[in-house]
Amino acid sequence: MDTVDQPNEQGSVEYRVDRILEEANTDTRIIVLARQDGGLDTFPIWVGAAEGNAIKLALDAMITPRPMSHDLIKSFAEHLNITIQRVVITDVKSSTYYATVHVVNKGLERTIDSRPSDAIALALRAPCPIYITQDVLKRRSTTNLDAWLAKLESKDIGAPEVQET
Amino acid sequence: MITQMHVKGLMFDPYNNAYIVVLRDEEHSDMLPIWVGKSEAGAISMSLENVTPPRPLTHDFMMSFLDAFNAKVISVVITDLSEHTYFSKIHLMYEDSEYTVDARPSDAIALALRSNAPIFANNSVMTKQSSEELEQWLENLKPEDFGKLDS
Repeated sequence: MDTVDQPNEQGSVEYRVDRILEEANTDTRIIVLARQDGGLDTFPIWVGAAEGNAIKLALDAMITPRPMSHDLIKSFAEHLNITIQRVVITDVKSSTYYATVHVVNKGLERTIDSRPSDAIALALRAPCPIYITQDVLKRRSTTNLDAWLAKLESKDIGAPEVQET
Repeated sequence: MITQMHVKGLMFDPYNNAYIVVLRDEEHSDMLPIWVGKSEAGAISMSLENVTPPRPLTHDFMMSFLDAFNAKVISVVITDLSEHTYFSKIHLMYEDSEYTVDARPSDAIALALRSNAPIFANNSVMTKQSSEELEQWLENLKPEDFGKLDS
């Protein structure tokens, strides 16, 4: 917290939340990020069910009768005049991704350590861009990832993109 | 009129598959049971048991967010009960001004516990919360029933 921009943020790539997949067996969700510039690369992040739902509510632009936790954070920002500028996925250690949320108030920038799930849930509500550093993009394991995702999606009945109305 | 409340414990409610946060006043004359979801109960339980998770959970992040600009939680108030839903407010102090923010009680309590801020309840809420059946059920609970939350 309270650190200045890290040099490894140079050359970060902007991503957007493309879709959310349910992994029913393990009660986890997979947040699939896609390049904002239309590039074909996708970047999956595994999160818990509650964290996934917090992201899904924002992605679907659902208004809940009462403010959810990330709505409350946004409300704090609005009350205190804090701008949520961007969120960055900065690191990966033993399969855990690390993120930072960049906030500004009266020209003063602060960087807050966060789980990617909180950062993304907040980014969708702010709204603000989501970046992934080159360092993280290089270090992730991509072996057979697309094939694995394709297999999962064909089985995944609950995912929004295969729902028919 | 408001009364200061303390988090007495967390219980699992198997009938509703939810958790109950039990608030009591100092004289133990009033009690507020507040039903919350599993992840909300988890956030409260982590504070009650002084567990520091390896990565900041949502309410830990919320605290960092407020800390980043030196905003302080001064108190939280359970303000209303309407159609089985409790309403609450978080009172913040920031640069000599006070701000009042609408919140669910689960978020307000999770934040109060992390910032050592007092929790209050409007007396009108206590009056409204007068389901006798429920009170009897709670009265019959033994201290052992206030078990630790497995999450």
